[in-house]
Amino acid sequence: MGATSKSDFQALQELFRPHIESFDYFLDEGLEKAFLSIRPIEISDPHAGIKLRVSLEKPQLLPPMREGRLSEPLFPHECRQARISYKGDFRALVCFQYDEGVIVRESINFGHLPIMLKSKLCHLRGADPQKLVAHKEEATEMGGYFICNGLERLVRLLIIQKQNYPMSMVRKSFRNRGPGYSDKAVVMRCVREDQSSVTLKLYYLENGSARLGFWIRGREFLLPVGIVLKALVDTNDHEIFVSLTCCYNDRYQREKGAVATQLIGERAQIILDEVRDLSLWTRSQCLKHIGEYFRPAMDGFETESHTTVAEAVLRDYIFVHLSSNHDKFNLLIFLLQKLYALVDQTAAPDNPDALQNQEILLPGHLITIYLKEKLQDWLKKSKRQLLDETAKKEKNIDIKNLTQVKKFFSRSSSTIGRAIESMLKIGRLNTASGLDLPQREGMTIQAERLNFFRYLSHFRSVHRGASFAKMRTTSVRKLLPESWGFLCPVNTPDGEPCGLLNHMTCACRVASFYDSEGRVKDFLKIRMSILSVLVGIGMTPLLPKLERAGPPEVLHVLLDGCVVGSISSVKIEEAVAHIRSLKLSGICGIPEDLEVGYVPLSFGGAYPGLYMFTNSSRFIRPVRNLIQVTNGSNNIELIGPFEQAFMEIRCPDGGNGGRREFFPATHEEIHPTAILSVVANLTPWSDHNQSPRNMYQCQMAKQTMGFSAQALQYRADLKSYHLQTPQSPIVRTASYSKYCMDEFPTGTNAIVAVLAYTGYDMEDAMILNKSSVDRGLCRGHIYQTESIDLANKHEKEDRLLEIFARSNDRKLKSSIDSDGLPYVGQTIHPSEPLYSTYNTLTSFTKPTLLKGSEDVIIDYVAVDGTGSKNYMQKVNIRTRRTRNPIIGDKFSSRHGQKGVCSQMWPDVDMPFSAVTGMRPDLIINPHAFPSRMTIGMLLESIAAKGGSLHGKFVDATPFSRSVCNADEDKPSKSSSVVDELGPMLTSYGFNYHGVEVLYSGVYGTELTCEIFIGPVYYQRLRHMVSDKFQVRSTGTVDQITRQPIGGRKRGGGIRFGEMERDAILAHGAAYLLHDRLHSCSDYHIADVCSYCGSVLTATVIQPQKRSVREIHGLPPARTPKNYICQSCKTGKGMETVAMPYVFKYLAAELAAMNIKMELQLSNQAGSCT
Amino acid sequence: MTEKMMGGAGASRTSYQRYPRVRIREMKDDYLKFELRDTDASMANALRRVMLAEVPTIAIDLVEIEANSSVLNDEFIAHRLGLIPLTSDDAMSMRFSRDCDACDGDGQCEFCSVEFFLSVRCDSDQTLDVTSADLQSTNPRVCPVDVAANALSSAADGYDSAEQKGIIIVKLRRGQELRLRAIARKGIGKDHAKWSPAATVTFMYEPQIHINEDLMETLTLEEKRSWVESSPTKVFGIDPNTQQVVVVDAEAYTYDDEVIKKAEAMGKPGLIEIYPKEDSFIFTVESTGAIKASQLVINAIDILKQKLDAVRLQDEESDMKELTSHLGNL
Repeated sequence: MGATSKSDFQALQELFRPHIESFDYFLDEGLEKAFLSIRPIEISDPHAGIKLRVSLEKPQLLPPMREGRLSEPLFPHECRQARISYKGDFRALVCFQYDEGVIVRESINFGHLPIMLKSKLCHLRGADPQKLVAHKEEATEMGGYFICNGLERLVRLLIIQKQNYPMSMVRKSFRNRGPGYSDKAVVMRCVREDQSSVTLKLYYLENGSARLGFWIRGREFLLPVGIVLKALVDTNDHEIFVSLTCCYNDRYQREKGAVATQLIGERAQIILDEVRDLSLWTRSQCLKHIGEYFRPAMDGFETESHTTVAEAVLRDYIFVHLSSNHDKFNLLIFLLQKLYALVDQTAAPDNPDALQNQEILLPGHLITIYLKEKLQDWLKKSKRQLLDETAKKEKNIDIKNLTQVKKFFSRSSSTIGRAIESMLKIGRLNTASGLDLPQREGMTIQAERLNFFRYLSHFRSVHRGASFAKMRTTSVRKLLPESWGFLCPVNTPDGEPCGLLNHMTCACRVASFYDSEGRVKDFLKIRMSILSVLVGIGMTPLLPKLERAGPPEVLHVLLDGCVVGSISSVKIEEAVAHIRSLKLSGICGIPEDLEVGYVPLSFGGAYPGLYMFTNSSRFIRPVRNLIQVTNGSNNIELIGPFEQAFMEIRCPDGGNGGRREFFPATHEEIHPTAILSVVANLTPWSDHNQSPRNMYQCQMAKQTMGFSAQALQYRADLKSYHLQTPQSPIVRTASYSKYCMDEFPTGTNAIVAVLAYTGYDMEDAMILNKSSVDRGLCRGHIYQTESIDLANKHEKEDRLLEIFARSNDRKLKSSIDSDGLPYVGQTIHPSEPLYSTYNTLTSFTKPTLLKGSEDVIIDYVAVDGTGSKNYMQKVNIRTRRTRNPIIGDKFSSRHGQKGVCSQMWPDVDMPFSAVTGMRPDLIINPHAFPSRMTIGMLLESIAAKGGSLHGKFVDATPFSRSVCNADEDKPSKSSSVVDELGPMLTSYGFNYHGVEVLYSGVYGTELTCEIFIGPVYYQRLRHMVSDKFQVRSTGTVDQITRQPIGGRKRGGGIRFGEMERDAILAHGAAYLLHDRLHSCSDYHIADVCSYCGSVLTATVIQPQKRSVREIHGLPPARTPKNYICQSCKTGKGMETVAMPYVFKYLAAELAAMNIKMELQLSNQAGSCT
Repeated sequence: MTEKMMGGAGASRTSYQRYPRVRIREMKDDYLKFELRDTDASMANALRRVMLAEVPTIAIDLVEIEANSSVLNDEFIAHRLGLIPLTSDDAMSMRFSRDCDACDGDGQCEFCSVEFFLSVRCDSDQTLDVTSADLQSTNPRVCPVDVAANALSSAADGYDSAEQKGIIIVKLRRGQELRLRAIARKGIGKDHAKWSPAATVTFMYEPQIHINEDLMETLTLEEKRSWVESSPTKVFGIDPNTQQVVVVDAEAYTYDDEVIKKAEAMGKPGLIEIYPKEDSFIFTVESTGAIKASQLVINAIDILKQKLDAVRLQDEESDMKELTSHLGNL
């Protein structure tokens, strides 16, 4: 193998880009922007009569450095081993200004911020494979995650509402807002430049008016829309009326695309009347009204006037993505028009579950908004505390003393870093405002390296939100056509997260802040150039004095949620085509990932308009533009889910997909496999399988034991599975080599015979050839790392309490080295010492024993020398357990055909081929096929047989027949894959259909049928009996009930529950039931007093000397005279009764609440003596 | 070369005794093809099974690792060592270590075990391959088969076999080291596949092909050709002179019934009849090199004889205890 270069893994790196780019933006600009948007606080001391203004600026984040030695870089590998976090110093300038005096800047340390691997601040950024390997990383290391306490964690990609797009929604819960509210509203998630967002809802009231609602710190505020309209700009009732009603025109009544009805005039009147009823006439009156209303809710405006408060409300909560009030006014008018169209059913509601109206939450953005919130909270909290301190009698702090104030502020500043780190560590957002996010928990997940598929899928998965998991309705889980090409229809788990946890397709990307040259996009410039292009192609800009109209005459043009003008519906098609061509050629400053969402006029469809988006965190994917073919080579256009719904994209199979002449396809898919995720793409011939089987394979691929890491030697994962001798599949798809899956193979090419042999292959069991297993088929290991930190155990103590040391016990010397740690390569049996420690206080050496019931081999012992000065305190011990296949282990092919090994059959007894002498490695039952219809597996077997004879890998890319090659028109279009593979087999003297004559290994006679046999790539799944078996004869019992305990770890039994009881009862197997539930459980012989009927009153009296004659084979008989009844004061009535011990316990419990239980003893039939 | 084989028969009963014949077709060190005639499938299969699973060889069974800083873990290396075929010509005369009286099977005794040493350290910048050639045997008669083959070939014609590197055990980079002691023992393939001396043993029934010449003559040359082509293996051919269908290689027939199906499809059922001869087998034996293929067959026959002796012992003495002890020794 030659030296690997960086470009080899380009396709892989591409998959992780959304994570890294978003964090890069956070480093480049996001942090700065967040700081700029933090409002300075003002502290005024009433006693001193002084005002202190505190603001933040110039954030600075440093690459990770070693603790104590700041010049030395800290590498991710060290963090994993030492169980520390990969984080860099975070400092910023805090500016103090007294009254209007000089600004004093002080650099304050805000703790450490975790650094994403391979981001701009990571030491591994841009490293080639050689350098990565030198730093003990994978050669393919893709980054995109954080290391927190040695664990690799990544931010879960969440689906959230599309930003800056007004979405009309119908939801029953809107009615709960108050009396008069309807279930209809237009909702818009407005996003500021610093990524923080405010969701604005425009509710429709039954009386025709509307209310604007938004949340401030856990409370929803509702404003009459008329007040907001009037407060935004200086206007009069007539202007508002005209701009609202302009979209209605008698001429277009019932015509296509007419969204407004004549009711709009009345509604405008109602809106205006509402304001008049409050006797608000002018803008300043409205502002005052709002200010008064919001004063208690707004922080830091105690001394300001009502008008200032109202302006702050308008600025900070209403259409925060826009800066100018005129734009806000126009947008609100547009929202109202859309709302009324929804109410009049001239426009359909938008589906919030459709990908069309969704975008993605990226790690960088989450951290930006969380950090901003934390800094704001910190400023507020510091202010409060500072005021508290100064108000105190002792006068610890003088607000006039700058040094004291500085000290005060730097005291709690490091909480910021800790808050961010803990958010990444546990995934919980600790916030009062909720940050306008759908959930607060589960924001991060651990990047498990169980195998490469699982690892990769973590970074490609997008979650719909935890709140939907609990919902009863299944509509959110539905696979909607809008997600075509963006989310994989195959790769979703079944069970609880089904349909909520999706995976991006391999072609799907996320729009970023960076252009193709890696520069941060200048959105202002982009918008300006788009505007000039729009005006150039006939858009009428929105100017106050101009007469307006609405659909169907003209269509509104929205650019990033700002109404910029309108365009005649006659010219719109042409305009859209023009913008698309500009988008492709990249001239005129139009970005390549611009979303041109043209919603055409329709009868009651989506609200028409031209919606354009330049923002980041949109899904995008490449398709081929057919119109653009002539000029220039670049015809790959990036489209988003919003525009996709209204585009004509055809399949590349050469057909037209049933389109009519006047709706020609304008775009073409690049390859049909682009609709599949990376993992789903690796299933060979998945187009020949029944679809659920492909889903199962996607799940099982993620549970496969494979090559989890090449740098296994240097890793300290808590648990990792490793296949000893993996192979490269003979039958593979195009993606396999594209994503370098040979670096992390996950299975073995096993010779699989499909026949019913011996009966041990029934019901999805499979027979393994014992000799194949002997020769190393599917052998594996489990690596586990145990981290021991002695300093952590005694956190309160300052000095060293425990050190690693060995006692002079001779027994220990064989397993523990003189430093108290085990020898590398040593086998340790259960409950043998793993390591030993010496307690300096008690001078006592205590060995720690190995837990579990399996032998382990010490693979690696690492000592962290950075912590304490003299003694080692932190140690990683990696152990290894061999896991060779045994009966009960789980295997699966790549077609959702899983099975459990039922026998290791001797090689000589396996059927053999007379021609080649081959015996199969594995036998599966033919019944596995008819109902599951995994034809792909049969094809794989034939293809792999041909491929291995031919000495070539076979391409099994799904849907390859749907790609029409213009140059070579295949004549064999109707032929099947078998017709290509069959002749290959015949040419080597094998049967066309892959069957062979086999002979019984036991009798040497020909088997009745010809047997289908060939190599199939088999995966070993991580579910192994050794981790699961549970067996018990006798053992620990519960203290109170004396019943056997549960739990595999504790050596408990398996519960024989109610349903099992019912089954036994139904069979009438009473004796068995008695045995299971009584004799083998809490059998107890109780002494019962037949006089008082109590089980609790028996007490022992001194046993008599007289020896009881023992009968052989029976337990010694007890003399009832040994017991007397406490309440009857006599032993005469004592009888022994066999009963469950819990019954006695029940009697005791009842007695505790003053209920007496009496037994009536009799010797009649039915009772056993 | 014919060899008498066992036919188990009591004197008092009707004799079913047969005298199987063996004819050797092709013989190489690691390859043998022979015919076995005048016996039945049970005997042929028994021979196959014994060759695969019960002919003893020597293989590394116990590995004591002194130092291992290579990338592969100890078990992996031990497993790889076990799978290296060792020259096992003495295996038949060796003792199983569990039966060895001279030692308790810990490899201290020459009757049941052979000791190997391996000590390699890489001191160069190039990757060093640790191969089977690095295994130092204490018994010159037991060594990795490729090493033995190289020694033989270089001794024979002075041919420099530097290219033949041997079986790679592990690769070392600078500073890595592998030091171990390994003990090879006698064993059989039934216990572990590493002791199996045979790579492949298979037999086929000799086919008997009857072409219905009359029916065949009704076919045109084109039909004949397509019929001949229908067999994936080259069994039939067309005589260029007479244009008659002739059997070119009967043994190439794999009993796949393709030609019979083809004949039926052509509307000529009964065009051909192919039967396996019930008492005639063609064996193919490929050895791993541990013992010669010919020796493998002879050893297998010996072992089969011993096993049959055990059965006869039971027949004559009907002493169960002795039988079980005898069987246990095999």
